[in-house]
Amino acid sequence: MFGKILIANRGEIAVRIIRACRDLSISPVAVFSQADAAALHVRMSDEAHCIGPAPSTESYLNIPAIIEAAKKSGAEAIHPGYGFLAENAEFARAVSEAGLTFIGPTPEAMEVMGSKTSARRAAIKAGAPVVPGTIEALQNYEEAKQVAAKFGYPVMLKAAAGGGGKGMRQVAEESELSSALEAAQSEAASAFGNSDVYLEKVVAKPRHIEIQIFADALGNGVHLGERECSIQRRHQKVIEECPSPINDPDLRQRMGKAAIKIAMAVNYVGAGTVEFLFSDVTREFYFLEMNTRLQVEHPVTELVTGFDLVREQINVAAGGQLSFTQADVQWYGHAIECRVYAEDPDNNFFPSPGKITFLRVPAGPGIRDDSGVSEGDEVSIHYDPMISKLAAWGRTRAEAIARMRRALDEYAVGGIKTTLPFFREIVRDEEFIAARLDTGFISRFNERRRGTGVLPVDVHVQDARATADIAVIAAALAYAHPERAPATNHDESQSKWKLAGRRTALANSLLKTVK
Amino acid sequence: MKLRATIQDVEIDVEIRREGGQVFANLDGREYGLEANLSPSGVTLLASDGQVFDCRVEGQPASGQAVDVFVGTDQFAVTLIDPKRLRGAAAANAAADGAARIVAPMPGKIVRVLVTKGASVEAGAGIVVVEAMKMQNEMKAPKAGTVVTLNVEVGTTINGGDVLAIIE
Repeated sequence: MFGKILIANRGEIAVRIIRACRDLSISPVAVFSQADAAALHVRMSDEAHCIGPAPSTESYLNIPAIIEAAKKSGAEAIHPGYGFLAENAEFARAVSEAGLTFIGPTPEAMEVMGSKTSARRAAIKAGAPVVPGTIEALQNYEEAKQVAAKFGYPVMLKAAAGGGGKGMRQVAEESELSSALEAAQSEAASAFGNSDVYLEKVVAKPRHIEIQIFADALGNGVHLGERECSIQRRHQKVIEECPSPINDPDLRQRMGKAAIKIAMAVNYVGAGTVEFLFSDVTREFYFLEMNTRLQVEHPVTELVTGFDLVREQINVAAGGQLSFTQADVQWYGHAIECRVYAEDPDNNFFPSPGKITFLRVPAGPGIRDDSGVSEGDEVSIHYDPMISKLAAWGRTRAEAIARMRRALDEYAVGGIKTTLPFFREIVRDEEFIAARLDTGFISRFNERRRGTGVLPVDVHVQDARATADIAVIAAALAYAHPERAPATNHDESQSKWKLAGRRTALANSLLKTVK
Repeated sequence: MKLRATIQDVEIDVEIRREGGQVFANLDGREYGLEANLSPSGVTLLASDGQVFDCRVEGQPASGQAVDVFVGTDQFAVTLIDPKRLRGAAAANAAADGAARIVAPMPGKIVRVLVTKGASVEAGAGIVVVEAMKMQNEMKAPKAGTVVTLNVEVGTTINGGDVLAIIE
């Protein structure tokens, strides 16, 4: 086993990997950009090295600086997390050439799966069904026009090197094709340094279902079931569940087997995810892509199966055998994850960077919050605006939703806008509760919101006029007392316990509202 | 202290008085007696008749400027006007002379400019594409009209609040 691991990432995933290192008594080494010198992942590590200025191209994507930091620290292995260099074969090679272990698959497997077009070829070879579309990148607009006409609109343009919804455009008709192609290519070029774009037919009412697989270097491969990731906006997942509400053991086994076959075809090692589109209409599934890394949404699988995927990644990278077999994998209960972004849901999810002036994180039965920030931290414009992943587990989907609703109401983030209010509405939405999910969910949800103009409201919410009055009083108090100090007759040193006790006593000693 | 408040498009006369930990307020004749705990983190607990209101004021309110107030998970924008500090705040907002400004909501970079100065555009037409936090966002014309001002070109670095274009 390793004694020291360098984590080539930041934010919540760096924190997550540090926790796995601690569980295994491995010393975690952080790297950071100049913008992250006081970030949570740095504070939680044993050792931290600056790898460059704020822009990620000069820091978290700076391969020589990361390798140098690893050598300087004496780390034996590098965990790339997700994003940044996690699926960069060149980085994996550089790590091996430096005599270090890359915690992830081989560069060869990453290369095959890294390009969506070669991944499609590999899946076809492994006998998996794929979405009808082109296998090579589009050469020009004329070709795109012909191919699109052949498959019939709507079609989807996708960056060959893509991920995270970048370089991706749905095209409803030919008149939109030219500008969509240009936009997809330019976004692909700026996000991935590769402007190759290919085209797929759009599957009707698709669910986005992915299979978590795990393989060791000894040839063992297992699957850990599916995750439902149909709730997306801008082709980015925002809510994930395990299992899918479809919860069909037969379908799970079929998709699981197909996923393992695809992984084994490229001699895959470590944690990987095979994404499928599932048509609610035909109940067919199609291979979409394989992510050769840990996924953002891995906690829901962990909550339902009980395995620690990061710990297992480290075990397998150290040459160990998988600590479980297919027969050991059991699914118990239901888990849901919400990605909390520093974005303004009232302004088309525009990023909302800034200082987190207040933070109250939910807890209690069935709740897990994987966060990368603490109060006082700055959400920087340089990086992905996700600040945390809130997950809830329950014995049933309904219980998980109830816990998620409670946790979302407890969660408070000050100073920046977040997607929390949006999630609070979703978990109260009838369609969501009824699990009528497909990738068009968010746009239909937004239509419903616009249509009624009324938000789902809890029964316990007090009279709206009184609540608004309270808001005015709170604002007026803050205005009148800018120092926000305790009142003069308050004992400033009183403990939180006394305060809590006094709060309880309040009910008895309150002044009545005078009509 | 006497203030005038605007919340949810309703104007309210507010009178507020604090005696130790207690707060007495009169809002358009509605009287409240509450117990208040103000803490440096901006969390205020007000309790009335056994009810607890977990309130949080985002930042320090200033006269004439809207401030976000949370009561539990409910969010309100509250604007307070202090008659002792009449600074004509309302006048500052009266720039609505029929021109629509496209303002950068945050720092970023212009990756595409979709119109030229003098072009006439429909409401909802794309004007510029801004890249920030790895996302590209198209800024659209809020109304139909002519692009009278275009302050940016491809590659321009912008700050939040910058006026990118004006449609008249």
